[in-house]
Amino acid sequence: MEQLVPEKAKISPFLVFFLVHTMQFGVGVLGYQRIIAMTAGYDAWISVLFAGLSIHIIVWMMYKILETTEGDIITAQSFVFGNKIGKLLSVPFVIYFLLIADTILRTYIEVIQVWMFQDMSTFWYSLAFCVLAIYIIFGGFRTVTGVAFFGVVLPAYLLFSFFFTIPYADIKNLQPIFDHSIKDLVMASYHMSLTYLGYEILLFFYPYIKDPQKSKKWAHLGVLFTTFLYTSLTLLTFAYFSEGQLQKSIWATLTMWKIVEMPFVERFEYIGIANWNIVILPNFCIALWCASRILKRVTKIKQKHGVILTSLIVLITINLFKSRVQINTLIDYTGKIAFYINYGYIPLLFFLVLIVKKVKKK
Amino acid sequence: MIKNVFVILMVFTVLIGCVQKEILDDVNLESGSAYDYVDGKIKGTALVPIYLPNKEVQNKTFSASSNLSRDFLRDVQRQSSDPLVTGSLKVVLFGESLAKENGILDLIDSFQRDPSIGAGLYLATAKGEAKDILEGQYGKRGNAIYLSNLIRHNMKNKDIPKTNLHRFLFDFNQLGKTPYLPELRKISKDQIEISGISFFRYGHVVDTIPASKMFYFKLLVDKYSRGTLKVTHKKERAAIESIRSKYKMQLSTRKPFTVNVKLKVNAILNEYSGKRVTPKDIKEIEKILQKNIEKECTLLTNRFQKKNIDPVGYGHFVKSKTRKFNFEKWKTDYPHLKVNIKANVMITESGVIE
Repeated sequence: MEQLVPEKAKISPFLVFFLVHTMQFGVGVLGYQRIIAMTAGYDAWISVLFAGLSIHIIVWMMYKILETTEGDIITAQSFVFGNKIGKLLSVPFVIYFLLIADTILRTYIEVIQVWMFQDMSTFWYSLAFCVLAIYIIFGGFRTVTGVAFFGVVLPAYLLFSFFFTIPYADIKNLQPIFDHSIKDLVMASYHMSLTYLGYEILLFFYPYIKDPQKSKKWAHLGVLFTTFLYTSLTLLTFAYFSEGQLQKSIWATLTMWKIVEMPFVERFEYIGIANWNIVILPNFCIALWCASRILKRVTKIKQKHGVILTSLIVLITINLFKSRVQINTLIDYTGKIAFYINYGYIPLLFFLVLIVKKVKKK
Repeated sequence: MIKNVFVILMVFTVLIGCVQKEILDDVNLESGSAYDYVDGKIKGTALVPIYLPNKEVQNKTFSASSNLSRDFLRDVQRQSSDPLVTGSLKVVLFGESLAKENGILDLIDSFQRDPSIGAGLYLATAKGEAKDILEGQYGKRGNAIYLSNLIRHNMKNKDIPKTNLHRFLFDFNQLGKTPYLPELRKISKDQIEISGISFFRYGHVVDTIPASKMFYFKLLVDKYSRGTLKVTHKKERAAIESIRSKYKMQLSTRKPFTVNVKLKVNAILNEYSGKRVTPKDIKEIEKILQKNIEKECTLLTNRFQKKNIDPVGYGHFVKSKTRKFNFEKWKTDYPHLKVNIKANVMITESGVIE
């Protein structure tokens, strides 16, 4: 390995579960149902399941790439394309992760602005959030992992709140199954890519895993858990909303919380949204960590400086997105880029690595 | 490290004052509202409970007219000493003329759009003016709580089919289903009752059934329904309470469309005016009940078909059994839909005496 990670900075293999799962489970959950139902109607839950299962192939490919080259994606690219081009090809990933960080934070701020405080300032909130993220990343990758762990465990109780919708569920909404063409279903799977994105971080933190072989099953379990959550949430949403009603709800998941009634809380969404802060904090941290890590690997900028630089970029660019339409465009593009990276570039790299390995052996 | 913590604390201290605060004591919580159609304008009334020191609740109402539905709130703000907020809205009433002539769609849109309004909000139509109902004096805990409790317990235990904002929107946006709401009627200054159910088509009330038919309607739409019924049996009268009911729909033929509805009702005998009930009597009462249910439910279905509304959701049901369902064609098919209703009543207990 070209750049060894010190043993004490490494994480236990089972923590990969939390890293992969938390990165996948973020702001997309709040409103993906409408988008997939647009193309595949109420059959779209099949697409959710299908898209989720297809990720396992990508994860398998990623592990193969990483095992062969014994490093992260930059090692792999250098292995295939040579040192210079390999590093050059890594630069777009910095932009990609900055885009993800922007998407996460801006979408969340939009939710707060629509649902809770109309007059909350985007800049000041982002500043506070960035400072917190910088502080966490300064603690090293182990601290980021710790935040990821709590980002999954602490808000887990929110899942129970969706049981409130069961008395309203109408299974007839889902019938008849397979009322849409295969093409529609595939299109809906494609639209799921934003919601599912995030597992590619494995390519970047792989050298930090203590016993990479053992982490395999945890990575797959993390993806499987996400797929399970998404599929069941999709089924619940489709049973709860009629199709016309869902098309009107931008944040279907949040709208579902409107039915929650408890004697001590009038509007449960407020609790849910506030808690979502913990859900997206690790996502944002991991994105920033990955961006600064690539910077460090490629340019020899210290990671501490890299983090500050990247979060400054996020702070500046996040103010550019002001209206619903602009934010939607941002989300769309991030989703598209994620799709091409995960389903285009990674398989390509996988085959190239295999070929180069064969050639080098000879 | 300590420096960083300090920075974070500083930022958060500064940030706390950044957003609009809504302190409970400094706002007027709108707990109920009523809409009427008066002289070509929508007249909105907001009900605000004012908690008096002696634990009593005073019902204060604010009214204003405007062309745009929720716009009236802005005018009402000019009458209210504290800002009016909608976060705890419990019940909304629509006046008769509004529901029949103008429709309630615009209003419903604003309830859906407002993130602070819950989906469990109760909607109801009023016989006469809705404002009148809000201005009564019911119960000790304020009118909004009284009205919402009235509707809630009747939906849970009695003959009113379950509805609220979510169910209304669900039915409204579902192809092959139309929404319905309970109808309230003011009897006197401090008395109110649920007088029937109003049926909507595109936001307009097109039909209303009286309270006596509500039980049969509930059997058709609610999965588990409870309610009470009276039957006459050989000059004697009996009161039956349904404990639980189940319905099952089946699509038997497609050309023409025929739907079989099987209703299963478990009930107890509450009251009997004769000397004693024998098992034979109970069997006969069951028979009469079955006949009544079958007759009334069929009548209701025919009535809906004539008015071209589908509160039971036959269209939605047929869709769920048909691939590539064509709703345009269904519009012409629906009036000719045949519905066979089959009831099965079982009286399990007849109280503690024989």
